[in-house]
Amino acid sequence: MSLFWIVIRQLAEIEAMATSKKVITKEEWEKKLKDVKIRKEDMNKLVMNFLVTEGYVDAAEKFRLESGTEPDIDLATITDRMAVKKAVQSGNVEDAIEKVNDLNPEILDTNPQLFFHLQQQRLIELIRNGKVEEALEFAQEELAPRGEENQSFLEELEKTVALLAFEDVSNCPVGELLDISQRLKTASEVNAAILTSQSHEKDPKLPSLLKMLIWAQNQLDEKAAYPRINDLSTAKLEDPAV
Amino acid sequence: MPTPASPSASASSSHRRASSDLMVRIGSADSEIKLRALRELKNQIIGNRTKKLFFLKLGAVPAVSCALAEAQAQAQADLLVQSAAALGSFACGFDAGVRAVLDSGAFSNLIALLSFPDDKVVDAGARSLRMIYQSKLAPKYDFLQEKNMEFLLSLLNSENETVTGLGASIIIHSCETVVEQKALCHAGVLKKLTSLLEGSPSQKDASLESLATIIKKNPEAASKFVSESRRALSSVIDLSKDRNPRTRLLACMCLIVIRNTSPYYLQEIGIKTKLVYLLLELLDDPGQVGEEASFAFSSLLAQKEDLQKLAFEANAIDKLHNHLQKHLLQPRRYQGILLALAELCSKLESCRSRFFYLEVLNLVADALTHEVADVRTAACICLRSVSRSIKSLSAGCFMKEMIVIPLVRLLHDPSTSVQVAALGAVSNIVVDFTTAKSTFLQCGGLKLLVQLSKSMDPILRLNALWGLRNLMFLADKTCKKGIFFELTAPSLSSLICDPEPSVQEQALALVRNLVDGCLDSIEYVFAEDGIILDAIGRQLQSTSKAEIGIQGMYVLSNIASGNEFHKEAVMHQLLLHVNNGTQAFILKFLQSNDSQLRTATIWTIINLTFPSSPGASSRVVKLRNAGIVSQIKTMVNDPCVDVKLRVRTALGQFMTIGDGST
Repeated sequence: MSLFWIVIRQLAEIEAMATSKKVITKEEWEKKLKDVKIRKEDMNKLVMNFLVTEGYVDAAEKFRLESGTEPDIDLATITDRMAVKKAVQSGNVEDAIEKVNDLNPEILDTNPQLFFHLQQQRLIELIRNGKVEEALEFAQEELAPRGEENQSFLEELEKTVALLAFEDVSNCPVGELLDISQRLKTASEVNAAILTSQSHEKDPKLPSLLKMLIWAQNQLDEKAAYPRINDLSTAKLEDPAV
Repeated sequence: MPTPASPSASASSSHRRASSDLMVRIGSADSEIKLRALRELKNQIIGNRTKKLFFLKLGAVPAVSCALAEAQAQAQADLLVQSAAALGSFACGFDAGVRAVLDSGAFSNLIALLSFPDDKVVDAGARSLRMIYQSKLAPKYDFLQEKNMEFLLSLLNSENETVTGLGASIIIHSCETVVEQKALCHAGVLKKLTSLLEGSPSQKDASLESLATIIKKNPEAASKFVSESRRALSSVIDLSKDRNPRTRLLACMCLIVIRNTSPYYLQEIGIKTKLVYLLLELLDDPGQVGEEASFAFSSLLAQKEDLQKLAFEANAIDKLHNHLQKHLLQPRRYQGILLALAELCSKLESCRSRFFYLEVLNLVADALTHEVADVRTAACICLRSVSRSIKSLSAGCFMKEMIVIPLVRLLHDPSTSVQVAALGAVSNIVVDFTTAKSTFLQCGGLKLLVQLSKSMDPILRLNALWGLRNLMFLADKTCKKGIFFELTAPSLSSLICDPEPSVQEQALALVRNLVDGCLDSIEYVFAEDGIILDAIGRQLQSTSKAEIGIQGMYVLSNIASGNEFHKEAVMHQLLLHVNNGTQAFILKFLQSNDSQLRTATIWTIINLTFPSSPGASSRVVKLRNAGIVSQIKTMVNDPCVDVKLRVRTALGQFMTIGDGST
């Protein structure tokens, strides 16, 4: 009998602990949020930063005219950067390399890894297009010397050349190199390098802010029940789950 | 799959044809063709060392330089941009390219581009010049000329980021002496650089690196920087928290330079701890920043036990060990980590214990056979540092084939710096208190050490003798015999008379260890008509260096502890110069300012006049006649306690023997 009561008491305590979390109602929460002041200019700058970093040049130009927010970079350079990115994404790697070099010859001269990845992408495109002889010649003339300079490049090169050994490349162990995601990976690497060379951060600030919001909510979850934002795209405040 | 051999052979010849065709087009009179050719060349060589070398051999650099000069005469912006970019790429990270660009005479043309009205041209010119200034081969910039300083200031004041970057590169490249540092401070460069700390990311980096260059080892510049603006130092501290890892690293390096230069700034525990943690974190960066962080870490720890302790508490040994375990380490990173470990283990036994506990030694042993000389050197320096641990020496941790065999092999490494570092490690390891010295002898280490002691390079001679000296330390009879017969009396005596004082000192220290211990070993200095002893006497008479006197007197003191014959031989050397007009070295040494030298000299006298030895009283008479006894009497109240004590012992012995002869 006494054991039964002990169990009951413990259950009650656990329940009490769970409900002892502070509950904040939607009205209270909204009132608190109202007291937080955010400057319009700051928001505009965040938006501009997002447009510029992601390369939405037309939108950025319009936004500049309409909101009067000055971008922290010459908008013309965005067009150039986007042209490079697009060239890689559509497989015109040689064209992309020339464009990067026109933009700033230092980028590829001082970033061996990026240069190697672009050359590797060029090799992948040759293989994709079935230009076997050309691919081999390119691997030997352009890529092999890079492999001699750097052991990890050599390993990547071997993996890429292995594509030639398979009849059905879509089903081989290194097949993912031919995937469109490989192009996107290379493209975003170039994009980041160009941004860095322009003294610009390579990631937009908006996603970091949202990440911080989610982190802060997770922290708060342990202490209180409050109107949470579950869907970032609508930013709807959910009713606190009691 | 087709065989690669045949197509590529024809390909490379077609490739060569295409390249020489390109060279022709660069020389074309049609500016449209020329422009396209220059751009093509640029795109071929960027990022591609092999191509740079290939076109360099084809004579591309003078051709492009010529195109640049022509375009300048006609003010053709497009051609200027492309040719400047091509030259810049030849100069980027490629010393042969820098030399070719400088030889082609393009330097002054590139400078002229900086005052061109088109911003793109200015940018291209400044970028190429910056590439050149990143090489050691760049011409030294003379800051002491007024117009040069004005030009530098105009670069730093430019609106164009690449141009301010060029100004910084010039400072980093050419400011070396205190006079140059002062000239830059005087011209207001510190102030300008401080304001650039608030500029764009690339300006921040350039400014941090230049500031470190101007402040390094110049306390005056350090205090000027800190006091000139209240925000200056705090800006640098703020930048050590920047988002960009490279900026964080450069800020740390600047702070380290300031604290190593001046004892007044940044000495608080908070900033010290912060620097340790920041640099350990930066080590994780996969790129160049991670590589350089280890070197910055070493400079933070160098000679500073308090910082080494902080680093130990921050688990630095474990972290460096983790890095060392990684697959395919880049040579520069490998070198940096080994040097950081060396610095960390240079003083504290706690660090060394952790090093052995984690079995880092095995990884360091692997590095001894690395293909890159700098890595081998760093591994040796690390070994030298951990082998200062008497505990592990006594446990025979180093006398293992895994260490000794590769280390001995490094004694005949083609690179002198590897040899010197290997000798440094050998010197410590052969001290070994166990009987394991034979491991070293068996794998031919002794022969190599002796061979290196006869090298033309004085640094090699010095370090080889150091090794031999330590090998001789507390060695048993067979070991001593082996060393002596390998080295021989004539070459030992010529090393005692080496032109380099530091070599003389080591040679004497070697003989001191040789004659230490049993009577038999004293006999070695009498081999071949006593040429060794004669050489010692000559050297002691002529030297003006206390260190040499100390080692020499301990040799004599050890010999004087032998039998009557030995004692008389020492007396002969001491009194040889008494009657020929010059001051005998023994009197000079007794009057020396160096207390260690006075101690060593008195010890010799004590050993010579030990009362129970038969000839003691006649030797006291001789010493008195030479004025030595009266000199010793004046030293009863010597300021050095050790000397005072020995003087009293000596005087006591004189008394016991009795002033009988008077």
